[in-house]
Amino acid sequence: MANNHLTSESKQLATWYFTFAAILFGAQLLFGLVAAIQYVMPGFLYGILDFSIARILHINALVVWMVFAMFGAVYWLLPDETGIETIGIKIGKLLFWIFAAAIVVVVLVYLFIQVGPADETTIWFITEGREYIEAPRWADWGIVVVALGFVANLFLTGIKGRQTGIVTVLMADMIAFAGLYLAGMFFTDNISIDQYWWWWVIHLWVEATWEVYVGAIAAYGLITMIGAHRKVVEMWLWIEVAMLFGSGILGLGHHYFWIGTPEYWWEIGALFSALEPLPLVAMFIHVLYDWGKTQGAEMANEHTDEDNVKSVINNKPAFTWFVLNAFGNFLGAGIWGFFHTLPQVNLYTHGTQFTSAHGHLAFFGAYATILIGMMYIAVQGTNGIKVMKHTKASIWAVSMITGGVVGMTVALTIAGYVQVLVSRAQMGATWAAYFDGQSGLWFTQAMDWRLVMGVVTFTGFIFLAKDLLTTGKNPVHER
Amino acid sequence: MFEPFTDVVPSFFGWLNQGPLTLTLFLHTVIILPMIWIYFQEKKRLEEEN
Amino acid sequence: MANKSVWSDNRFWRRSATWVTGFASVLLIWLTFDTSAQIAMGNDQDLKDGVVKRVPGPTVINYKISYEMSSKRGHEVPVIGGNDGEGNSLFQEKEKFFGRDDWSEEEAGKLLHLGKLASQAKNCMDCHTLLGNGAYYAPDLTKAWLDPAWGPDGAMQALTGKETKEEAMAEFLQHPDQFATHARMMPDLGITKEEAIGLVAFLKHMSSIDTNGFPRNFGRMQGAVNGK
Repeated sequence: MANNHLTSESKQLATWYFTFAAILFGAQLLFGLVAAIQYVMPGFLYGILDFSIARILHINALVVWMVFAMFGAVYWLLPDETGIETIGIKIGKLLFWIFAAAIVVVVLVYLFIQVGPADETTIWFITEGREYIEAPRWADWGIVVVALGFVANLFLTGIKGRQTGIVTVLMADMIAFAGLYLAGMFFTDNISIDQYWWWWVIHLWVEATWEVYVGAIAAYGLITMIGAHRKVVEMWLWIEVAMLFGSGILGLGHHYFWIGTPEYWWEIGALFSALEPLPLVAMFIHVLYDWGKTQGAEMANEHTDEDNVKSVINNKPAFTWFVLNAFGNFLGAGIWGFFHTLPQVNLYTHGTQFTSAHGHLAFFGAYATILIGMMYIAVQGTNGIKVMKHTKASIWAVSMITGGVVGMTVALTIAGYVQVLVSRAQMGATWAAYFDGQSGLWFTQAMDWRLVMGVVTFTGFIFLAKDLLTTGKNPVHER
Repeated sequence: MFEPFTDVVPSFFGWLNQGPLTLTLFLHTVIILPMIWIYFQEKKRLEEEN
Repeated sequence: MANKSVWSDNRFWRRSATWVTGFASVLLIWLTFDTSAQIAMGNDQDLKDGVVKRVPGPTVINYKISYEMSSKRGHEVPVIGGNDGEGNSLFQEKEKFFGRDDWSEEEAGKLLHLGKLASQAKNCMDCHTLLGNGAYYAPDLTKAWLDPAWGPDGAMQALTGKETKEEAMAEFLQHPDQFATHARMMPDLGITKEEAIGLVAFLKHMSSIDTNGFPRNFGRMQGAVNGK
């Protein structure tokens, strides 16, 4: 990159990670659109790129772009937090290329080979066929190696440099994050055991370690963007760790209601995990309240003598995405999750579009938002911008992506209700019951709206990509 | 109020799971109770520092 | 600072977080040992001795399986080899599976192994749900073996031109695009005859897993009244 303001190699590596993450984000939306079209027109790409393949690519790209952006965000904040350059950055760069190349190969195999014969070679080289972690076994080992390298970078730097609360939490969290992946790397004939451990990866990632990760990033963001007091922010970070791990770890129980596991999981799953997203909103409110009373007011007053009151938030687009994260997490993970976490409700909603509605809003609200925010922070740093402002494109991006995802969520929730009431409660869950629900007018209309909202989201992504690429050179920002 | 055990195989957790939210209340309690001890320990430390 | 409250003290929260995380992890590991023992697969001797397992051994394919209300459990449970009237399995009534009801433990285990591998190699879970987990583009397969559509009164045996449930299912799996029941068709995934038999064994075995009453009222209600 020419005329780059970054002096830290760690931050340069972070921009690589963010760039690849953004490309995969686009791919995720594109394959999501294919799958959404297939709900409306089942013949679309039938026999060429079937729903199963489009969906694998949709959800795998989702997981992988988020992991990339998460690694990137850590490489970005490490020099700021520890006060030193990241140790082992050469290996970090090498691992980036290995990781990216492996992803490209896995995607090409998904696209062009798709399925294999029923033997171990398919599991090793084509697909493992387990939702979210379909990546073949060889790629699993690659991911383990890359993750261990990343964790080593983080630990060596964290131990040598300044150990802030944020770095401490990240160190503990990322080792768990990498270790949990191992729970999903074996084959068994017993589907109950299979799904038991499969959830260790999926749940303990997205409802425990990833959530704590987001807490640490939100803390970092509040300190860098508005100069919030570290003490207040880190106190909330610890409260968040306590509440997230305290409720999230045993909250795993809400996946063990119906997979063959004992009845006692009903009670464990029902009430743990209900409190997960509260502390993040609390952190935001407390920090903004404190800050507004003291620092914010002072900083604003300093500027009132000038013609226009200057902003005290040094990165508006990023801050917007961070605020969306606090509330999106609460709404998507918290409210939509709690809707169907009670076993009495889940008996009917389990495995319906209801879950899909929750998945869309939760992944977006809890993770996509804050990671996009981090991308803006990286653009700001890379271009040496002091105060970064909204542009037309950034406002369109925020509005269309958020509006699109919320629209899809509402549509899928309605579709879910139809499925729950007709296919499950009224008709008793058979093959015929399933298709009766799927051909209901409310269901098909909801799927039409989901597609429309998907297009809105994708258009928003184009604005986002344009803005991330061009806003750095835009003269509106203060340098 | 307390119901007979109905699950397939008896176990410690199954045994706790026989009344209105008994299992989940028990688990929440054993997780949270020690925090009271941590609270008083930290309170003492803060008072000594003052 | 004038008012130093424990509630706004970082050390208190850090220690609490450490305790809570550590203890919740220990509890989860304990629960995992307890659950793993309960969901370990049974064997042929268990079936012969009438031992109820949450996940029966592969030779369960030799038995008649149904899904009925258990008065003790308060929800539906898989009933293997006949019902004692209270929803408890008798483990007596056999049912032929591809013409045989004497599949040995080894043979049945091999079929199940092949079927489970096929279920992953063909990405079943990315359209269907298994035990309710997966994608929502196609019907749930948890109790697919017990679906009336495949039974003697259902449409699928006539549609595939086969006389038994298992043969109809195996035929469908090999040429799903020829037996469409909905505009949303299952694509041809190159499933061989052996793989199809394995998959049907896998489905029959899955229907014998005790899922705590999920799905509710399966197959008990038929014919859409106000469904559309």
